[in-house]
Amino acid sequence: MTAKVPRSTSVPAIRTSRPLSPHLQIYRPQLTSVLSFSHRLTGVILSVYAVALVAWLSAAAAGPQVFATAQSLVQSPFGKILLLACTFSFFLHLCSGIRHLMWDTGRGLELGAIYISGWVVVAVSTMLTAVSWIVGTTLAR
Amino acid sequence: MIIRSSDQVPRRTLFKRFPVPRNLGVPPVSRIERGRIWTAPAGAQRVKTFEIYRYDPDSGANPRLDSFEVDLDDCGPMVLDVLIWIKSKVDSTLTFRRSCREGVCGSCAMNIDGTNWLACTRFVSDTSKRATIYPLNNMRIIKDLVPDLTHVFAQYSLIEPWLKSTTAVPERERLQSLEERHKLDGAWECILCFCCTSGCPSHWWNADRFLGPAVLLQAWRWLVDSRDEATGQRLDDLEDPFRLYRCHTILNCTRTCPKGLNPGKAIAGIKKLLLERRV
Amino acid sequence: MVKPPIMRSSHGRASGLGSAKEGVQQWWLERVTAVALVPLTLWFTASIVGHTDVGYMAFIAWLRAPLTTILMVLLLIALFHHLALGLQVVIEDYVHSVAKLPAVITVRLACFGLAVAGIVATLRIALGY
Repeated sequence: MTAKVPRSTSVPAIRTSRPLSPHLQIYRPQLTSVLSFSHRLTGVILSVYAVALVAWLSAAAAGPQVFATAQSLVQSPFGKILLLACTFSFFLHLCSGIRHLMWDTGRGLELGAIYISGWVVVAVSTMLTAVSWIVGTTLAR
Repeated sequence: MIIRSSDQVPRRTLFKRFPVPRNLGVPPVSRIERGRIWTAPAGAQRVKTFEIYRYDPDSGANPRLDSFEVDLDDCGPMVLDVLIWIKSKVDSTLTFRRSCREGVCGSCAMNIDGTNWLACTRFVSDTSKRATIYPLNNMRIIKDLVPDLTHVFAQYSLIEPWLKSTTAVPERERLQSLEERHKLDGAWECILCFCCTSGCPSHWWNADRFLGPAVLLQAWRWLVDSRDEATGQRLDDLEDPFRLYRCHTILNCTRTCPKGLNPGKAIAGIKKLLLERRV
Repeated sequence: MVKPPIMRSSHGRASGLGSAKEGVQQWWLERVTAVALVPLTLWFTASIVGHTDVGYMAFIAWLRAPLTTILMVLLLIALFHHLALGLQVVIEDYVHSVAKLPAVITVRLACFGLAVAGIVATLRIALGY
């Protein structure tokens, strides 16, 4: 029998409250929780991009010079990275959202269907992002 | 990769836990510290290490994570057998709830290798190399692996899980057709182990107000019971942004149920009923 | 500082302030705006992908088409309504301090303001001001 039990000095000897067992710190990430969190995360990210959309429209309304500045920002390398993130977030949130709407009708809630639809969402959103970027860059030339 | 039933244990995982600090956002009282290492008895051939959450309310110390080296040839095949072996041969202060040892009472529900299951129906061979055993998540701990279930049972009493009817009591049974009885399947079998509720992230963030999948599954059981006559009042009590609508269909509950039940589907059913009565 | 003990019964604590007896409306509207957003956002993305690197006049001409203006206004309305409902739920989930109500109010008002700003910009382009 080896190590000594370490004693915590930051806690009073008389317990006034019981400790809380760990949750997020030790729970195994599963497709269910990871996809749900990414749906929420992409939603919040898209909220920020929605503000950018309004700014871009306002730039277009303000005249050609302001619009040209806005376009140059969007087409800069950093702007393109942000646009890629936006597209991927959008497609992931869209596919995940359609999956949620399907669940709201009551369909697809068996465990097998949950996992299949989950992987379909990941695959389709990645594919749609790739397709839209390939089409966009080819058309731009 | 495709999980078809909740008793499937994934062979390989990318992440055993979310890559966050072990004591992230944890108040000082709940910080888990490194604990003792209990070595295997001499001559043990098949040895496996179990890391078990320990908490002693009498000592005043913080919770800790003890490592037990277990002789697998000397104890039974289930995780509960390992716990009993440790208690009888190594450390008799290890405290946990257990009763039926066959997966019907719900006493030994705990977090094994990151997911919630019953210790008596989880094979040791299905656990990872360094298996971890924690109590049910986000619960006040009385001692070691024993959580305080007072609050979740109070939430269960809130949905009034009994038959409510105003028609005169019949002389014999209250009649129910076979189809009506089949509607209860998948809900009456719940053993109230609370694996699902303690595995629900929404319940982690809003345990005081969100009822959780176990309680909502039982709410569904009483809503679809054809003999119950208070469906409207039950729906009124459930229609609350926190009691019901903290459910965002995360579906950790269906993934983890040790009895193979589907609380997520039942909650979707409740939401559909609430929509149906106003459209 | 030791917190004073809570003497309310566990049933009382679980019961809280009782059921609000409402919540379907928000849930339903989030789904309705989501259903509206599926075609609208797909149309918008397809238009952007198809019109990358066009000049200012071509972009204005595209937005001036009546159908485009209508769809853009509908997109902004549905988007910001969906956004407001979604962010309110996120704030309610994670914020439990006194900051919760101010945060919800700020987000809702900001979404309304941004929607109006977007619609005004679209109409200005469409009507030529």
